[in-house]
Amino acid sequence: MQAQLQAVLAKAAAELPAVHLRPELEAAKARYVGPNGEFTALMKQMGAVPKEERPAAGRLINEAKGRLQVLLDEALARIAAAELSAQLGPAIDPTLPSPDPGPGTRHPLTLVREEMCRILRKVGFSVADGPEVESEYYCFDALNTPADHPARDEKDTFYLPADARFGNVSKKDPAERYLLRTHTSSVQIRTMLRGEPPIRIVSPGRVYRRDTTDATHSANFHQLECLYVDRNVTVRDLKALLDHIFAALLGKDTRTRFRPHYFGYTEPSFEVDLAATHLPRVNKPWIEIGGCGMVDPSVFAAVGYDPERWTGYAFGMGLERLAMLLYGIDDIRYFYQNDARFLRQFS
Amino acid sequence: MKVSLNWLRDYVPLTASPEEIARAITFLGFEVEGIHSTGAPRLDHVVVGEILTRARHPNADKLSVCTVDVGPAGGVKTIVCGAANCDAGHRVLVALPGAVLPGNFAIKASKIRGQASEGMMCSPDELGLPGDHAGLLLLPDRPALGVSIQEALPGGDTILDLEITPNRPDCQCHLGIARELAAWFRLPLTYPQERFRGDVSAAAQRPDLLAGVEVRSPEDCPYYSAHVVAGIKVGPSPAWLQDRLRAVGLRPINNVVDVTNYVMLETGQPLHAFDARRLEGRRIVVRPAVDGERLVTLDGKERTLDPRTLVIADAARAVVVAGVMGGQDSGVATDTTDLVLECAVFRRQSVRAASRRLGLSTDSSYRYERGVDPHGAPEAAWRAIDLILETAGGAVAGPAFQVGGDVPWSREIVVTHDYITERLGFDVPASGMRAAFEALELRVTREEQTVQPARGPAWTVAIPSWRDDLDRPIDLVEEVLRLHGTERIPPATVVAPGLAAEDDPVVRFNRLATDYLVGHDFHECVNYTLRPARELAAWASAAELPRLALANPFVDDQTHLRSSLVGGLLDSLRLNQARGVPVARLAETGRVFLERDGQVLECVAAAFVIAESSGERSWLRRESADFFTVRHHAVALAGLAGLRVGELLPAAAPGWQAGHAALANDHRRGWWIGAGLVDLALTRSLGIEGRVQAGFVALLPELLPARAGVRRFQDFSLFPAALRDLALIVPEATPAGEVSARVERAARQAAGASFTFEGASVFDVYRGPGLPDGHKSLAFTLVFRGKDRTLTDNEVNTAFQRLQEDVPAGTSWQVRR
Repeated sequence: MQAQLQAVLAKAAAELPAVHLRPELEAAKARYVGPNGEFTALMKQMGAVPKEERPAAGRLINEAKGRLQVLLDEALARIAAAELSAQLGPAIDPTLPSPDPGPGTRHPLTLVREEMCRILRKVGFSVADGPEVESEYYCFDALNTPADHPARDEKDTFYLPADARFGNVSKKDPAERYLLRTHTSSVQIRTMLRGEPPIRIVSPGRVYRRDTTDATHSANFHQLECLYVDRNVTVRDLKALLDHIFAALLGKDTRTRFRPHYFGYTEPSFEVDLAATHLPRVNKPWIEIGGCGMVDPSVFAAVGYDPERWTGYAFGMGLERLAMLLYGIDDIRYFYQNDARFLRQFS
Repeated sequence: MKVSLNWLRDYVPLTASPEEIARAITFLGFEVEGIHSTGAPRLDHVVVGEILTRARHPNADKLSVCTVDVGPAGGVKTIVCGAANCDAGHRVLVALPGAVLPGNFAIKASKIRGQASEGMMCSPDELGLPGDHAGLLLLPDRPALGVSIQEALPGGDTILDLEITPNRPDCQCHLGIARELAAWFRLPLTYPQERFRGDVSAAAQRPDLLAGVEVRSPEDCPYYSAHVVAGIKVGPSPAWLQDRLRAVGLRPINNVVDVTNYVMLETGQPLHAFDARRLEGRRIVVRPAVDGERLVTLDGKERTLDPRTLVIADAARAVVVAGVMGGQDSGVATDTTDLVLECAVFRRQSVRAASRRLGLSTDSSYRYERGVDPHGAPEAAWRAIDLILETAGGAVAGPAFQVGGDVPWSREIVVTHDYITERLGFDVPASGMRAAFEALELRVTREEQTVQPARGPAWTVAIPSWRDDLDRPIDLVEEVLRLHGTERIPPATVVAPGLAAEDDPVVRFNRLATDYLVGHDFHECVNYTLRPARELAAWASAAELPRLALANPFVDDQTHLRSSLVGGLLDSLRLNQARGVPVARLAETGRVFLERDGQVLECVAAAFVIAESSGERSWLRRESADFFTVRHHAVALAGLAGLRVGELLPAAAPGWQAGHAALANDHRRGWWIGAGLVDLALTRSLGIEGRVQAGFVALLPELLPARAGVRRFQDFSLFPAALRDLALIVPEATPAGEVSARVERAARQAAGASFTFEGASVFDVYRGPGLPDGHKSLAFTLVFRGKDRTLTDNEVNTAFQRLQEDVPAGTSWQVRR
């Protein structure tokens, strides 16, 4: 019997490695271990084995059965692996370029704006928004801009025709004209008119000046303004904010300085200079980066806040200018041409 | 405004360096736009020497070897020189070893082509002086050997170019800046002392020179004074006066005109001098111009005036545009012997409007526009008269005329130490605050201690007439801070509570849309909001276009508000193609302006374009984007805005290719969405290669949800689905959406209450053999599922049989078997 078992195993060991298809394997398996299989037939001989030899014969059969199963499993694994590799083409060349477009890129103005907003959110500012078409009241009157101020001149500010009707931009007075906002400070006014202090907002957005387009001027550009109104807000707090912003943007050792200046809507007012150590292509020690000041009491009066009770500060800067300083861009027009070679450089 | 440091030193004994003075002015609040020095710079080891001999350098054709005597500064030196004019006998400036010339150029003893050289003879350029670059600076006055450059060259000056903020008209002059610097450096300020102080009682009375002054527009001219000076001799000004004017960029004219300019630059008060004999009727009338009245101004241009413009007239005609510019034939000329000196204050707005109308801005109009102190005017006139008498001779004659100016000035502000400290956020001692006021001539008329809980004193501060900008306690906070120094604001950390509010929904939408688009391989673009009419005409209807126009556009290609972002994106696409930069996907978020019922709405928008591959080759081809790609992105963007968009339907809209684009909108709520092929003729006319697919969403900002809506979990079945395919033959014109809707309705009914129908999806659209002409076949896969069991074939078949009968019922459709 041992010889018979050896013979069957040898046959299987010779035959099974040559099997390549699943049906052939199934047929071979039936030939050995199916109801009429050779191995099955040998097992049936067990009944004829004398009683005292049965344990030894059983051991032999079990051993042979195990080895046969190993042969079958190996064949199955080989076939399954061959089936999977049949699903593959030739190996890829990972050095070929992707035919797909991209990757997509964020515009540098978006990158700078989002970075500033991220920095400001960390110190409690939320991002506000408002219309780009504004009325004279929200853009000028409420901000303490006298009626004959040059900024209001048709030479400097874009106006809409007197009969223009804007369905979703409210006016204070039906007689006032619509214009394209010259600063995002109008968002501050609308925000203050909506509710009571404390208010801590940053308003980034598009603004318009009636200006010749050249390397540093653009008919529309972007500003970012901060407004904080609360009890006991001080000049020192304002300086601390500016220091925080630019240290977060450019590194801990970044310095800012205030120069007294004049704006109608703040008192006292300052221009903010940034030490240019971290900026490319700037060859002077300080560079002007924005304007700021303590909210003028007349602005509080215009929005119905009690100037005795509330104090606040405001800060504004141009985003193009900031992006130009940060990235070393020398012409504002690049931002509006959208040359892909420009856009790909910043994301 | 240009300011001369020498001139400032007339009033304040400044000893600081020009750099320190410029810094002081900067921190006083005036931008220093330029510093320009004339005269010799302060340089050590640069002395006068005389060239004794000149010989050719043995090893270089263009160099000379000179011996130069620098006298007590070191005797005779041998110096190699490259200049052509280093001839023996000239006295020149010699930079000796140890000197550091402008540009940080250190002079050392050295060998030049093998020849020792003990210094350098200097050209003006090398000394930082204006002049010829080519040769040595020769000293024809032959100063003594060995004396320093400062002694050898005439004294210099430093000119600062300042930007004066509009709130400080008092600083539009040297005295104003001197006052600020005196306060900063805590130095005494000396005002000019006028000898003539308005008294004409002892003067000759000459009504034949000026008989009367009449101000008919006192609103626009609150102060007008006229003095007569008789017997003058017009001629060139003395050198000191000419030098002063030239130093700050004015051209000397004659002694009288120069004096009026000088006093304006000194005090800020514009002045005008008439030839008394050229005033018709010996009268001055301040009145509005007569409509059409003509006047040839000093610049030789004839101006046609109207009643909005204030003029100074004589009995017959206008002779000056008030506050702006004088007329050509009434001013002081070389033959003038008697003059009338005008010293007036005009209303700012009136001068500003006149200056704007005439397109004429002068030193005078610039100062009047910003405001001139009426209470300082008389002294300016007296000062000018002093200087006229000094430079042109003559004598003051009576009578003098003055109209207006009789309201005395008085203003006091009460401010406390606590108020200022609370605004500053740091301590400045009360004594320091008071000292700041007084340094600025803000006289403290009263100081009293305040009571608990306040700590410091309260001051009553008298405001001088030239500081009209100081009106409230907060204005004095700024004065204290200016003099304390903004550089001394102590550092602090930002005190920040938790976020007070959520970001604006518009901001959040733009962020989400940009993230989505960038994540789908788009380049984010930024285009101008203002577009040319010809571009907009492609996207807006003829009725819409005029409503988007600006009243006062500046340039032809920026006349209208954009109604679509796609126009700008096509422009960017064209630019990239023209520059040979391959780019396929561009996107933008921003405001657009859409019309509804005759009103314009400012809308939030996102848009994108995809250029179908425009010829650039790739080793592996991808299928290009089509309508279904862009609709997918447009609907996704609408979803980010919280919009539930139904089907986009074909619509004839400007800019889009008919039959290849579709739109959806809710006019009433205010949203619009579209996607598809950009009109091929438009693409071609723009010079864009290849076809462009585009999509957009625009909506009223107020539609954006303030916060995400409430969502609830819905349970779903874990049992297997049963699938059935259904093909329907329908007329070509029937939209798939209509068929699909009918199939879904029928399937839902067929499934009834016993199990659920989960949806039907189109998996094939067939046109061709086997179908009737003008028909297509739409094939759907339908998904059925039991809530609580595996469905049997039987029950699904029964339902499927029923819906195959229901769907075509009442239509011309056929089930394709």
